[in-house]
Amino acid sequence: MSEQATTGLRRFGARALPHAFILPPIAYLCLFMFWPLARQMWMSLTDAKLATPNEGQFVGLANYARLVETPAFYASLKVTLVYATSAVVLGVTLGVISAFAINRPFRGRAVVRAVLLFGWAVPNVAAALIWLWMFNERSGVLNQILTGVGLSRLRWLTSIDWAMPSILMVTIWQVAPFVMLVVLAALQSVPDEVREAARVDGADPLNVFRAVTWPHILPAVQLAGLLVAVWSIRRFDIIYLLTGGGPLGSTSTLVVRIRQTAFEAHELGMASAYGAVGLVLALLIAAIHQLVDRRRARWMADR
Amino acid sequence: MNHLSKLPRFLLLGILAVLAGLPVYWMATTALSDESQLYMNRQVPWPQIGNLGSLLSAIAAVPAGRWMVNSLIIATGTTVVSLLLGSLAGYALSRFRFQGRGFIGFLLFMTQVVPEALILVPLYAMFITLGLLNDLAGLALANAAFSLPVATFIIKGAVDTIPHEIEESALIDNCPRFGILTMIVLPLIAPSLAAAAVIAFFAGWNEYLFASTFLMDRGLWPASVGLASFIGQYETPLSVVMGTALLFSLPAITFFLIIQRRIVAGLTSGAVKG
Repeated sequence: MSEQATTGLRRFGARALPHAFILPPIAYLCLFMFWPLARQMWMSLTDAKLATPNEGQFVGLANYARLVETPAFYASLKVTLVYATSAVVLGVTLGVISAFAINRPFRGRAVVRAVLLFGWAVPNVAAALIWLWMFNERSGVLNQILTGVGLSRLRWLTSIDWAMPSILMVTIWQVAPFVMLVVLAALQSVPDEVREAARVDGADPLNVFRAVTWPHILPAVQLAGLLVAVWSIRRFDIIYLLTGGGPLGSTSTLVVRIRQTAFEAHELGMASAYGAVGLVLALLIAAIHQLVDRRRARWMADR
Repeated sequence: MNHLSKLPRFLLLGILAVLAGLPVYWMATTALSDESQLYMNRQVPWPQIGNLGSLLSAIAAVPAGRWMVNSLIIATGTTVVSLLLGSLAGYALSRFRFQGRGFIGFLLFMTQVVPEALILVPLYAMFITLGLLNDLAGLALANAAFSLPVATFIIKGAVDTIPHEIEESALIDNCPRFGILTMIVLPLIAPSLAAAAVIAFFAGWNEYLFASTFLMDRGLWPASVGLASFIGQYETPLSVVMGTALLFSLPAITFFLIIQRRIVAGLTSGAVKG
């Protein structure tokens, strides 16, 4: 290692050059991500309509005032929270269980592992189509199975009680494999010697798990949970295609509302107000992540 | 768990595999069914391979070919933009120390929590102005805004692992920085580039929200929009719908399974360091 050469390289790079590299991508993101975001915030203060999106009149906080008086807004907020929380809890639990189940080698492990990943690999629209068919009330395979074992048919996607659980089923089929892969990577880096040493010291399996394995994979579990939470707030396709937000708004998350308010009700201002709330929610999750990260760093330092 | 004895573990794995595999199995089974059987009470629960020939010709009429080509164009455009700009940003974030570097990292992290639906309306308005509505290029540009940060994180992480010494000799020979990036660094991180490319490609391939909003012309529909148009209409036989969906899924399934570890590493890399 030539320390001098390295600092020479750094000094070389410290001049104008970095900006030549970083400006094009940043300009791109500003144009296609941050400018639209800013516009969106501005639009929420106007009465823009779909036909003339650029000609909205400034109306101050009128859209937000209307928003907080709309029962559908609170319903949508609740749906979003229920959906995201359930997806995180169930998806992470199932993902962790799968990771433990498939962690040790056995014959045919690669095949089983591939099958477990199907839900993660299938594109959203294809997933929506197959599940729509499986959920079909008259001829779908799920109701065939139910009637086959003597139970009565369910209205999977069209009853208020079952629409959300059905959507969650599809969601968990998609996200649990991802959690599994993240946790599996962490599991396979648990040092065997430490586990062995704990066992030699007389720790029973549960204690080994609690003292060695779990702390080692916890950061991975948290990270996977965070990503699932963020994706749940962002997820549009599956919900929109399976239920369209219905029945009676029981699966209408904030992002589904944005699209409906903008392109079905043609009210861009209101849609943008919904969007602002969605953004706040997403930022909150990001902030929680940063907080957890910092606490973990401190916790590691204390040990 | 270590002491989970074999039988319960395999039982659990068996149940999980059936649950995870059933939808894809059923997609294939339905695609290869006799249409007349599908709405009877009992669908034949295994694929009837004999129907493959008629299925393929029916899919060709859908027009699945044209949809897939459109998807391919969008996905390729998304990949090219993401990798080009991602290489620049990833290299700069890894190699240069400059003012605002931390802030840029933060901005890139923030893009990962933004729901697509949130910039849908302003993007729509902007595309009217720029003439990008009803244009496959516009879709690639919109998609790349979301996959560029991921590509950047992956490339930065890969460049971080390359020793500075390799570039120094080239620098001494007065090789320009851009040349060093393209001739020396990028070939060294080819596996990471491949992972970034697969992520960006299938982000574009799978994307539905933007495509269904920005494309009015049926001839421009990618497969995601075309497939979604089957929902609620009953003219297209269900076996053809499922066959097309399967055909659309196969590339994604193949690539995701082949480089699963790198994709997962890539998708998590952005969230690790804010």
